Amino acid sequence: MKVDELSTITAAFQGIKERAESRWQKLWHSGQPVILVGTATCGRAAGSLEVLQTLRDEVKKQSLECQVIEVGCMGYCYTEPIVIISKPGYPSIAYGHVNPVIAERLIKEFILGDNPCLEFVIGALEKNEFVPSFSEFPRAEYEQKIILKNCGYIDPEQIDHFIASGGYEALVKVLGMPPEEIIDEVKKSELRGRGGAGFPTGEKWEICRHSRGRPKYVICNGDEGDPGAFMDRTILESDPHSVLEGMVIAAYAVGARYGYIYVRAEYPLAVYRVQVALRQARELKLLGKNILGSNFSFDIELFQGSGAFVCGEETSLITSIEGNPGIPHHRPPYPAVSGLYGKPTLINNVKTLTYIRHIIENGAKWFAAIGTEGSKGTAVFALAGKVVNTGLTEVPMGTTLRQVIFDVGSGIPGGKCFKAVQIGGPSGGCLPESALYLPIDFDSLSKAGAMMGSGGIVVLDEDDCMVEMAHYFLEFTQWESCGQCTFCRLGTKQMLEALGEITKGKGKIEDIDMLAELAEDIKAGSLCGLGKTAPNSVLSTLRYFRDEYEAHVKEGRCPALMCQELIAYYILPKKCERSCDACVGTCTVEAISPNKDRIKVIDKEKCVKCNTCLVACPLQYNAIVKFSPPDQVPASR
Amino acid sequence: MKTVSLTIDGKEIRAKEGEKVLWVALDNGIYIPNLCVIREALQSPAACRLCFVEVEGKDKPVTACTEPVIEGMVVNTQGPQALRLARTAFELLMASHPVECAHCLSRDSCELLKIAPHLKVRLKIKRLRGLPRGLPIDSSSPLFIYDPNKCVLCGRCVWVCRERLGIGDISFAHRGFQRVVATFGDEPMARARCSACDECVTVCPSGALCFKDGKGPKEELNRPVEKSKS
Amino acid sequence: MTKEQVNHIQETRRILKQFSRKRGNLIPILQEVQGKLGYLPREAMLVIAGFLGIPAIDVYGVVTFYNQFRLNPPGKHSIRVCLGTACHMKGGYIALDAWKRRLDIDSGETTPDREFDLDTVACVGCCTMAPVTVVDDKPQAQVEPTKVDGILLSFELEKEKASKENL
Repeated sequence: MKVDELSTITAAFQGIKERAESRWQKLWHSGQPVILVGTATCGRAAGSLEVLQTLRDEVKKQSLECQVIEVGCMGYCYTEPIVIISKPGYPSIAYGHVNPVIAERLIKEFILGDNPCLEFVIGALEKNEFVPSFSEFPRAEYEQKIILKNCGYIDPEQIDHFIASGGYEALVKVLGMPPEEIIDEVKKSELRGRGGAGFPTGEKWEICRHSRGRPKYVICNGDEGDPGAFMDRTILESDPHSVLEGMVIAAYAVGARYGYIYVRAEYPLAVYRVQVALRQARELKLLGKNILGSNFSFDIELFQGSGAFVCGEETSLITSIEGNPGIPHHRPPYPAVSGLYGKPTLINNVKTLTYIRHIIENGAKWFAAIGTEGSKGTAVFALAGKVVNTGLTEVPMGTTLRQVIFDVGSGIPGGKCFKAVQIGGPSGGCLPESALYLPIDFDSLSKAGAMMGSGGIVVLDEDDCMVEMAHYFLEFTQWESCGQCTFCRLGTKQMLEALGEITKGKGKIEDIDMLAELAEDIKAGSLCGLGKTAPNSVLSTLRYFRDEYEAHVKEGRCPALMCQELIAYYILPKKCERSCDACVGTCTVEAISPNKDRIKVIDKEKCVKCNTCLVACPLQYNAIVKFSPPDQVPASR
Repeated sequence: MKTVSLTIDGKEIRAKEGEKVLWVALDNGIYIPNLCVIREALQSPAACRLCFVEVEGKDKPVTACTEPVIEGMVVNTQGPQALRLARTAFELLMASHPVECAHCLSRDSCELLKIAPHLKVRLKIKRLRGLPRGLPIDSSSPLFIYDPNKCVLCGRCVWVCRERLGIGDISFAHRGFQRVVATFGDEPMARARCSACDECVTVCPSGALCFKDGKGPKEELNRPVEKSKS
Repeated sequence: MTKEQVNHIQETRRILKQFSRKRGNLIPILQEVQGKLGYLPREAMLVIAGFLGIPAIDVYGVVTFYNQFRLNPPGKHSIRVCLGTACHMKGGYIALDAWKRRLDIDSGETTPDREFDLDTVACVGCCTMAPVTVVDDKPQAQVEPTKVDGILLSFELEKEKASKENL
């Protein structure tokens, strides 16, 4: 690149940056309080929009000089809605489980008065003498936020916030570098794709760079379809520009002219915020024709995925953009050689692309120093299921599962026992307690029978039946199979039928072996990644929890008391309180009635096993129990 | 065009570089089961998963329809791993294919009946569950019957209708286990434009599309190519 | 042709004006049309196929492939039961059973009076409030069988109130 072109770019960006920084300074250092409200999907579901409205109304009513802005998700989803108040003279304080009443109090007592309402505090953002800060939380010892750093702290709909926190500087830096050098840097960082398979990112870029055919495309894969995973959504909703910056850098490195960002239509907020981000980036010439006055042009279009899990697979994502059913095809050719419309196409996951700006800024060495031998950097996980702190976390590769579940996630709620952890979504597997010591990285997880996947961690406790879980995940992949290849279309269906019969107590002992054999063949014989990984949930549960399968088949018993056909509800006559009718009133199908002694009895014929009565029975009586197999229930008198 | 030499099942063969193993084998009298691939088409969908072979130096079986031949390649169509996968795939197809050969109008031209003995698989699959699809049989056309339950989703009819005839009246619809060859709106064939043409029937390998009189021409799409004398 | 069908065609044609005749636009077009009409009627699909110059079956193939698209008109109220992992573990399937029982329809169907349509959704990301049912685009927390009855009752009361006001 010519020297004068470079100086045009730097000068153009300098202007943008100065303006962004002055706005940022004005926001934070004008002596006025600032209120941040987390309005990502998780916050909204918990009612953060009502909280936002209350805060704005109160500010108006009290004619306060105070900014209320929307931010994304901090990752502490268990305590949404979250509000952060930064008032001069105080540290920035985060409040959890805020509702409109608390919001009103915060304004009246903290903004107007001087009472920081400590009873609602989660923690402070910076270290101070009054309130424990997030950095002092036990989980902080294990967490290292790189790509989640901005999430929850900047307004995703204001590009200035992103730029003021260092955004688009990496882009300016690469525009002065030869593309080969950028690819080399990414290669040296040893970054591996975060979509699941873990292919070395730099190598993919190099292949695409050297592929003939024009124009080239860059696609960001945000088709996060795993039930129970929401990392990509959070990043797109909380910090969309970091993804766009990664895409532009990638495009420059491989020589692409057009890009697509593929986001599920089920994520309307992410779709909206990406659209806003695209518009703002174009306005500042960070996207589009002659980016920042350089000779490099690249533009991105948003494509909304229409709800097919298989479109997370790169070849089917591409056929989907072309306007077809998302049917994968045989690789090679790989998309980097022949992808969208037969042209070289670089396709990377949201998280992978988000790492790029940090690698460019801080250097490959810095990145490669984090993590383990074969897996560098951090891993982002969505923690869900039977764990106290559900939400997002980012930890260095090599952190053990125990640390993530028990230290970051604070363990299992309700004093229950840990049973297993399902990692990697429907393509991943269930690992038992003995695997908790495992360091999280691409290779050790796949060795243990799970996989990194896109990063969903679901914790299971003693009340969860492993056969049922395997059935659940297989039902999902079976439903989402595109139906093209024989193994996936018919093989998973065969497995699902067999599993279904086992959960109903109708399975045969041969079925267990048939499942294992068929699972191996489907894994080896399927055309695409969906089919190749679909049997993992069954294979891993068979490997670690075969005894549960056998209990279902041989005894018709569900050890976790979960499989509906294998359990029965029973009211212990000795514990049932004559004067209490809680269960009778709550039963939705009128299956419970008192006998002549006013002891309640469940009509097994009518009972639909919805568990409502068990929840309703007051704790001091605790009279309702589940039995498995159902014939263990004593005959009613 | 560069030619390479390779061996398939011990037989030494010369072939065009990059040609797919499946065609090279078929043209040299070595049968490899296949349903979904069409020689004239640009790309194989690699969907039926029947043409697995083992290649020396590769730890897993590969599909012959997608594997290009290279110099010195050693292919084994009878390797135990490849046969295991092909058999399982075939068993899966048969487990949801109504086996009523005695009454089937297509029994003389049925390719499934050819593949079964080759893979040494019985038509009635014992270790798997029967998974009937329960779809209505369409006999609306005056010429042919369409029984989607017998369909193996090879896509030959779709290809002929679209690529060879340029009509495009039938194609795949729905997803997963429900995937089916259908007309627009899942309407009977007679209501779609295609009722008078029967090209699709001539290429169906599984009896899903068959002439009402049980006769009529059959075309073998992937016929071996005679070697040119030069 | 019914008046409704004519209307569908007109609406579809209006939407098509924003698009070029590129096959890659098929899915965005279908999304727009469904956003407007609530579903994808036969006549709309035919217009779209004509516009893009592709066989009608190709439009049908895409519509029947993706979860997002529907071929039947939706009900007045949409009930979406989340079957994400967290919801499943906390009894999402029990909630689904309860909805099916009460509405007397299966998942993917609309009640004969077109009041409700029932469907499942694979995770709406509100895992902390499991089991979740999204009722008319608003996620409802901890929807257990008793809450199903409660939600239906509130619709009933609303309807009663509305009909009284109309008298």
